[in-house]
Amino acid sequence: MVKKQKAKARDALLGMIKEQQDSQGHVSREAMEHLARSFSLPLGEVYGVATFYTFLSTKSQGRHVIRVCQSMPCHLKDSGQVVDWISQELCLEPGQTTPDGRFTLEVTNCIGACDQAPAMLIDDVVYGGLDPQKVAQILRSMD
Amino acid sequence: MSATKAVINGTEIKVKAGTTILEAARQAGFEVPTLCHHPELTPSGNCRMCVVEVEGSPRLVASCHTPLAQGMVIQTHSDKVLAARKAVVELLLTAHTGPCVNDSRASACELHKLAAELEVGPPRFQVQAPRFYPVENDSPYVRRDMSRCILCRRCVRACREVAKKGILSMAYRGFQSKVVFEADDPLNSEQCKDCGVCIEFCPTSALSKPVEEVA
Repeated sequence: MVKKQKAKARDALLGMIKEQQDSQGHVSREAMEHLARSFSLPLGEVYGVATFYTFLSTKSQGRHVIRVCQSMPCHLKDSGQVVDWISQELCLEPGQTTPDGRFTLEVTNCIGACDQAPAMLIDDVVYGGLDPQKVAQILRSMD
Repeated sequence: MSATKAVINGTEIKVKAGTTILEAARQAGFEVPTLCHHPELTPSGNCRMCVVEVEGSPRLVASCHTPLAQGMVIQTHSDKVLAARKAVVELLLTAHTGPCVNDSRASACELHKLAAELEVGPPRFQVQAPRFYPVENDSPYVRRDMSRCILCRRCVRACREVAKKGILSMAYRGFQSKVVFEADDPLNSEQCKDCGVCIEFCPTSALSKPVEEVA
Protein backbone atom coordinates (compact mmCIF):
# COMPACT_ATOMS: atom_id res chain seq x y z
CA MET A 1 0.00 0.00 0.00
CA VAL A 2 2.75 2.37 0.97
CA LYS A 3 4.56 1.40 -2.18
CA LYS A 4 1.50 2.18 -4.27
CA GLN A 5 1.14 5.65 -2.78
CA LYS A 6 4.78 6.34 -3.41
CA ALA A 7 4.51 5.26 -7.06
CA LYS A 8 1.56 7.57 -7.53
CA ALA A 9 3.52 10.47 -6.09
CA ARG A 10 6.36 9.82 -8.52
CA ASP A 11 3.92 10.06 -11.45
CA ALA A 12 3.01 13.61 -10.46
CA LEU A 13 6.63 14.77 -10.57
CA LEU A 14 6.80 15.69 -14.25
CA GLY A 15 3.62 17.79 -14.02
CA MET A 16 4.99 19.72 -11.08
CA ILE A 17 8.31 20.35 -12.79
CA LYS A 18 6.33 21.61 -15.82
CA GLU A 19 4.39 23.97 -13.55
CA GLN A 20 7.67 25.43 -12.32
CA GLN A 21 8.87 25.86 -15.88
CA ASP A 22 5.64 27.64 -16.89
CA SER A 23 5.42 29.93 -13.90
CA GLN A 24 9.11 30.73 -13.39
CA GLY A 25 10.50 30.33 -16.91
CA HIS A 26 12.92 27.70 -15.70
CA VAL A 27 13.32 25.04 -13.01
CA SER A 28 15.72 26.44 -10.44
CA ARG A 29 17.92 24.40 -8.17
CA GLU A 30 15.86 25.57 -5.20
CA ALA A 31 12.68 24.37 -6.91
CA MET A 32 14.26 20.98 -7.66
CA GLU A 33 15.47 20.63 -4.08
CA HIS A 34 11.99 21.48 -2.84
CA LEU A 35 10.39 18.91 -5.16
CA ALA A 36 12.96 16.27 -4.18
CA ARG A 37 12.10 16.77 -0.52
CA SER A 38 8.36 16.70 -1.05
CA PHE A 39 8.54 13.53 -3.18
CA SER A 40 11.19 11.91 -0.95
CA LEU A 41 13.40 11.45 -3.98
CA PRO A 42 17.12 12.08 -4.36
CA LEU A 43 17.77 15.43 -6.03
CA GLY A 44 19.38 13.54 -8.90
CA GLU A 45 16.04 11.96 -9.86
CA VAL A 46 14.37 15.36 -10.19
CA TYR A 47 17.39 16.73 -12.02
CA GLY A 48 17.28 13.71 -14.33
CA VAL A 49 13.69 14.41 -15.34
CA ALA A 50 14.28 18.16 -15.68
CA THR A 51 17.27 17.66 -17.97
CA PHE A 52 15.70 14.92 -20.09
CA TYR A 53 13.10 17.15 -21.76
CA THR A 54 14.28 19.96 -24.01
CA PHE A 55 11.22 22.03 -23.10
CA LEU A 56 12.36 22.13 -19.49
CA SER A 57 15.34 24.23 -18.52
CA THR A 58 17.40 24.27 -15.34
CA LYS A 59 18.91 27.64 -16.25
CA SER A 60 17.06 30.91 -16.61
CA GLN A 61 16.21 31.67 -20.23
CA GLY A 62 16.00 34.71 -22.46
CA ARG A 63 12.85 36.61 -23.49
CA HIS A 64 12.57 34.44 -26.61
CA VAL A 65 13.54 30.78 -26.71
CA ILE A 66 14.64 29.53 -30.12
CA ARG A 67 14.41 25.77 -30.49
CA VAL A 68 15.95 24.33 -33.63
CA CYS A 69 14.69 20.87 -34.48
CA GLN A 70 17.44 18.26 -34.84
CA SER A 71 15.32 15.19 -35.54
CA MET A 72 15.89 13.13 -38.67
CA PRO A 73 13.97 15.03 -41.41
CA CYS A 74 15.35 18.38 -40.21
CA HIS A 75 18.80 16.85 -39.76
CA LEU A 76 18.73 15.64 -43.38
CA LYS A 77 17.71 19.16 -44.43
CA ASP A 78 20.83 20.45 -42.67
CA SER A 79 19.39 21.78 -39.43
CA GLY A 80 23.00 21.94 -38.20
CA GLN A 81 23.44 24.87 -40.57
CA VAL A 82 20.38 26.59 -39.14
CA VAL A 83 22.04 26.40 -35.72
CA ASP A 84 25.21 27.87 -37.27
CA TRP A 85 23.32 30.76 -38.90
CA ILE A 86 21.63 31.66 -35.64
CA SER A 87 24.87 31.22 -33.69
CA GLN A 88 26.62 33.65 -36.04
CA GLU A 89 23.77 36.15 -36.10
CA LEU A 90 23.45 36.26 -32.32
CA CYS A 91 26.98 35.22 -31.28
CA LEU A 92 25.86 32.38 -29.03
CA GLU A 93 26.10 28.62 -28.85
CA PRO A 94 23.22 26.22 -28.24
CA GLY A 95 22.32 26.28 -24.55
CA GLN A 96 23.39 29.91 -24.16
CA THR A 97 21.47 33.15 -23.71
CA THR A 98 22.46 36.49 -25.26
CA PRO A 99 23.96 38.92 -22.71
CA ASP A 100 20.98 41.28 -23.22
CA GLY A 101 18.62 38.47 -22.25
CA ARG A 102 16.80 38.64 -25.59
CA PHE A 103 17.34 35.13 -26.97
CA THR A 104 18.15 31.66 -25.76
CA LEU A 105 19.22 29.12 -28.37
CA GLU A 106 18.38 25.46 -27.88
CA VAL A 107 18.26 22.36 -30.04
CA THR A 108 15.24 20.14 -29.64
CA ASN A 109 13.70 16.91 -30.84
CA CYS A 110 10.85 16.60 -33.35
CA ILE A 111 8.42 19.52 -33.23
CA GLY A 112 6.01 17.92 -35.70
CA ALA A 113 6.90 20.23 -38.58
CA CYS A 114 8.75 17.63 -40.66
CA ASP A 115 6.97 18.81 -43.84
CA GLN A 116 8.58 22.23 -43.36
CA ALA A 117 12.08 20.97 -42.54
CA PRO A 118 14.40 22.50 -41.52
CA ALA A 119 12.16 24.02 -38.89
CA MET A 120 12.44 25.84 -35.60
CA LEU A 121 10.21 27.13 -32.85
CA ILE A 122 10.52 30.56 -31.38
CA ASP A 123 8.49 30.53 -28.18
CA ASP A 124 5.30 28.84 -29.44
CA VAL A 125 5.50 29.73 -33.14
CA VAL A 126 6.78 27.34 -35.82
CA TYR A 127 9.02 28.69 -38.59
CA GLY A 128 9.76 26.30 -41.45
CA GLY A 129 11.59 26.14 -44.77
CA LEU A 130 14.46 28.10 -43.24
CA ASP A 131 17.28 29.72 -45.17
CA PRO A 132 19.89 32.26 -43.99
CA GLN A 133 17.89 35.30 -45.16
CA LYS A 134 14.69 34.05 -43.60
CA VAL A 135 16.42 33.29 -40.29
CA ALA A 136 18.00 36.74 -40.17
CA GLN A 137 14.69 38.40 -41.02
CA ILE A 138 12.79 36.47 -38.33
CA LEU A 139 15.37 37.24 -35.67
CA ARG A 140 15.36 40.95 -36.51
CA SER A 141 11.58 41.10 -36.26
CA MET A 142 11.70 40.00 -32.60
CA ASP A 143 11.63 42.56 -29.82
CA MET B 1 5.52 -24.06 -7.76
CA SER B 2 4.64 -24.97 -11.33
CA ALA B 3 7.39 -25.70 -13.81
CA THR B 4 8.01 -24.16 -17.19
CA LYS B 5 9.17 -26.32 -20.07
CA ALA B 6 11.09 -24.93 -23.01
CA VAL B 7 13.78 -25.80 -25.50
CA ILE B 8 17.14 -24.04 -25.46
CA ASN B 9 19.59 -24.81 -28.27
CA GLY B 10 17.73 -28.06 -28.94
CA THR B 11 17.88 -29.22 -25.31
CA GLU B 12 14.61 -29.67 -23.48
CA ILE B 13 14.66 -27.94 -20.11
CA LYS B 14 12.32 -27.65 -17.15
CA VAL B 15 12.69 -24.78 -14.71
CA LYS B 16 10.77 -23.08 -11.91
CA ALA B 17 8.09 -20.70 -13.18
CA GLY B 18 9.32 -17.10 -13.24
CA THR B 19 12.89 -18.02 -14.14
CA THR B 20 14.38 -15.67 -16.71
CA ILE B 21 15.67 -16.98 -20.03
CA LEU B 22 19.20 -16.08 -18.92
CA GLU B 23 18.96 -18.06 -15.68
CA ALA B 24 17.41 -21.02 -17.48
CA ALA B 25 20.12 -20.99 -20.15
CA ARG B 26 22.86 -20.86 -17.52
CA GLN B 27 21.27 -23.68 -15.55
CA ALA B 28 21.31 -25.74 -18.74
CA GLY B 29 25.00 -24.93 -19.19
CA PHE B 30 24.76 -22.33 -21.97
CA GLU B 31 26.82 -19.27 -21.20
CA VAL B 32 25.07 -16.08 -22.36
CA PRO B 33 27.26 -12.99 -22.03
CA THR B 34 25.94 -10.07 -19.99
CA LEU B 35 27.12 -6.58 -19.21
CA CYS B 36 24.48 -4.39 -17.57
CA HIS B 37 23.07 -7.42 -15.79
CA HIS B 38 24.25 -8.40 -12.33
CA PRO B 39 22.72 -11.23 -10.30
CA GLU B 40 22.47 -9.04 -7.21
CA LEU B 41 20.64 -6.22 -8.99
CA THR B 42 17.23 -5.70 -10.56
CA PRO B 43 17.50 -6.53 -14.28
CA SER B 44 17.62 -3.44 -16.45
CA GLY B 45 17.94 -4.79 -20.00
CA ASN B 46 19.64 -1.68 -21.34
CA CYS B 47 22.85 -3.04 -22.88
CA ARG B 48 21.37 -5.78 -25.14
CA MET B 49 24.44 -7.99 -24.72
CA CYS B 50 22.33 -10.93 -23.54
CA VAL B 51 19.97 -11.02 -26.53
CA VAL B 52 18.72 -14.40 -27.69
CA GLU B 53 16.53 -15.59 -30.53
CA VAL B 54 13.05 -16.76 -29.53
CA GLU B 55 11.16 -18.64 -32.22
CA GLY B 56 8.12 -16.64 -33.32
CA SER B 57 9.37 -13.36 -31.87
CA PRO B 58 9.91 -10.68 -34.52
CA ARG B 59 13.02 -9.40 -32.80
CA LEU B 60 15.73 -10.56 -30.45
CA VAL B 61 14.83 -10.43 -26.78
CA ALA B 62 17.02 -9.52 -23.83
CA SER B 63 17.27 -12.75 -21.83
CA CYS B 64 18.20 -11.08 -18.52
CA HIS B 65 14.75 -9.64 -17.91
CA THR B 66 12.49 -11.86 -20.02
CA PRO B 67 10.84 -14.67 -18.09
CA LEU B 68 10.94 -18.06 -19.77
CA ALA B 69 7.47 -18.90 -21.08
CA GLN B 70 5.93 -22.32 -21.60
CA GLY B 71 7.04 -23.89 -24.89
CA MET B 72 9.57 -21.23 -25.91
CA VAL B 73 12.15 -22.37 -28.45
CA ILE B 74 15.35 -20.42 -27.92
CA GLN B 75 18.69 -20.08 -29.67
CA THR B 76 21.43 -18.46 -27.59
CA HIS B 77 24.22 -18.60 -30.14
CA SER B 78 22.66 -18.36 -33.62
CA ASP B 79 24.38 -16.26 -36.30
CA LYS B 80 21.78 -13.54 -35.86
CA VAL B 81 22.37 -13.40 -32.11
CA LEU B 82 26.17 -13.37 -32.42
CA ALA B 83 26.02 -10.59 -35.02
CA ALA B 84 23.82 -8.51 -32.74
CA ARG B 85 26.10 -9.02 -29.73
CA LYS B 86 29.15 -8.05 -31.75
CA ALA B 87 27.40 -4.90 -32.93
CA VAL B 88 26.49 -4.03 -29.35
CA VAL B 89 30.13 -4.33 -28.26
CA GLU B 90 31.23 -2.31 -31.27
CA LEU B 91 28.77 0.46 -30.52
CA LEU B 92 29.81 0.59 -26.88
CA LEU B 93 33.49 0.64 -27.83
CA THR B 94 32.93 3.41 -30.36
CA ALA B 95 32.49 5.99 -27.66
CA HIS B 96 34.84 4.17 -25.37
CA THR B 97 38.26 3.61 -26.96
CA GLY B 98 41.53 5.44 -26.60
CA PRO B 99 43.77 5.38 -23.56
CA CYS B 100 41.80 2.45 -22.08
CA VAL B 101 43.84 0.04 -24.13
CA ASN B 102 47.13 0.76 -22.37
CA ASP B 103 45.83 1.73 -18.96
CA SER B 104 46.35 -0.65 -16.05
CA ARG B 105 43.02 0.42 -14.56
CA ALA B 106 41.29 -0.91 -17.65
CA SER B 107 42.77 -4.40 -17.45
CA ALA B 108 39.67 -5.73 -15.72
CA CYS B 109 37.21 -3.99 -18.05
CA GLU B 110 34.32 -6.35 -18.80
CA LEU B 111 33.64 -4.62 -22.10
CA HIS B 112 37.17 -5.30 -23.31
CA LYS B 113 36.89 -8.92 -22.18
CA LEU B 114 33.65 -9.31 -24.12
CA ALA B 115 35.23 -7.68 -27.16
CA ALA B 116 38.03 -10.26 -27.00
CA GLU B 117 35.64 -13.17 -26.45
CA LEU B 118 33.37 -12.15 -29.31
CA GLU B 119 36.36 -11.31 -31.52
CA VAL B 120 35.30 -7.74 -32.12
CA GLY B 121 37.92 -5.67 -33.89
CA PRO B 122 38.14 -1.88 -34.06
CA PRO B 123 34.60 -0.47 -34.35
CA ARG B 124 33.37 0.39 -37.86
CA PHE B 125 31.43 3.37 -36.60
CA GLN B 126 32.87 6.84 -36.47
CA VAL B 127 31.89 9.50 -33.99
CA GLN B 128 32.24 13.20 -34.62
CA ALA B 129 32.81 14.05 -30.99
CA PRO B 130 33.51 11.26 -28.49
CA ARG B 131 31.94 11.75 -25.09
CA PHE B 132 34.49 13.44 -22.92
CA TYR B 133 34.33 14.45 -19.26
CA PRO B 134 37.21 15.54 -17.04
CA VAL B 135 38.14 12.98 -14.38
CA GLU B 136 36.41 13.75 -11.08
CA ASN B 137 38.76 13.15 -8.20
CA ASP B 138 36.98 15.26 -5.57
CA SER B 139 35.77 12.39 -3.44
CA PRO B 140 38.14 10.52 -1.13
CA TYR B 141 36.07 7.38 -1.80
CA VAL B 142 35.38 7.22 -5.52
CA ARG B 143 37.29 8.43 -8.55
CA ARG B 144 34.94 9.02 -11.48
CA ASP B 145 36.11 8.99 -15.09
CA MET B 146 32.82 9.36 -16.90
CA SER B 147 34.41 9.34 -20.36
CA ARG B 148 34.75 5.60 -19.80
CA CYS B 149 31.24 5.06 -18.57
CA ILE B 150 29.07 2.89 -20.81
CA LEU B 151 25.81 3.90 -19.09
CA CYS B 152 24.97 0.36 -17.93
CA ARG B 153 23.47 1.83 -14.73
CA ARG B 154 24.96 -0.87 -12.52
CA CYS B 155 26.32 1.80 -10.15
CA VAL B 156 22.93 3.54 -10.02
CA ARG B 157 21.21 0.29 -9.07
CA ALA B 158 23.97 -0.84 -6.69
CA CYS B 159 23.87 2.50 -4.87
CA ARG B 160 20.12 2.17 -4.47
CA GLU B 161 19.71 -1.57 -3.92
CA VAL B 162 22.94 -2.72 -2.28
CA ALA B 163 24.33 0.37 -0.56
CA LYS B 164 20.76 1.60 0.17
CA LYS B 165 21.77 5.17 -0.52
CA GLY B 166 20.34 5.89 -3.94
CA ILE B 167 22.32 9.04 -4.52
CA LEU B 168 23.25 8.31 -8.15
CA SER B 169 20.80 9.00 -10.98
CA MET B 170 20.66 9.23 -14.75
CA ALA B 171 20.41 12.71 -16.26
CA TYR B 172 20.31 14.35 -19.68
CA ARG B 173 19.40 12.51 -22.84
CA GLY B 174 20.84 10.67 -25.83
CA PHE B 175 24.56 11.29 -26.35
CA GLN B 176 24.58 13.60 -23.35
CA SER B 177 23.25 10.92 -20.96
CA LYS B 178 25.32 10.75 -17.81
CA VAL B 179 25.27 9.22 -14.35
CA VAL B 180 25.07 12.15 -11.94
CA PHE B 181 25.11 12.92 -8.26
CA GLU B 182 22.45 15.48 -7.30
CA ALA B 183 22.31 18.24 -9.92
CA ASP B 184 25.45 16.92 -11.66
CA ASP B 185 27.53 18.09 -8.69
CA PRO B 186 30.91 16.75 -7.56
CA LEU B 187 30.45 13.80 -5.19
CA ASN B 188 30.29 15.20 -1.69
CA SER B 189 31.69 13.13 1.12
CA GLU B 190 28.74 13.71 3.41
CA GLN B 191 26.34 11.63 1.34
CA CYS B 192 28.90 9.41 -0.37
CA LYS B 193 31.26 7.91 2.17
CA ASP B 194 32.84 4.74 3.53
CA CYS B 195 31.21 2.63 0.87
CA GLY B 196 32.69 2.11 -2.58
CA VAL B 197 29.99 -0.42 -3.50
CA CYS B 198 29.53 1.22 -6.91
CA ILE B 199 33.21 0.63 -7.71
CA GLU B 200 32.79 -3.12 -7.32
CA PHE B 201 29.75 -3.10 -9.59
CA CYS B 202 31.25 -0.94 -12.36
CA PRO B 203 32.17 -3.17 -15.32
CA THR B 204 34.62 -0.62 -16.74
CA SER B 205 37.29 1.61 -15.24
CA ALA B 206 34.85 4.54 -15.01
CA LEU B 207 34.67 4.14 -11.24
CA SER B 208 37.74 3.30 -9.25
CA LYS B 209 39.37 3.79 -5.89
CA PRO B 210 41.16 7.14 -5.74
CA VAL B 211 44.92 6.92 -6.08
CA GLU B 212 47.14 8.78 -3.69
CA GLU B 213 48.81 11.61 -5.53
CA VAL B 214 52.55 10.95 -5.61
CA ALA B 215 54.29 14.12 -4.49
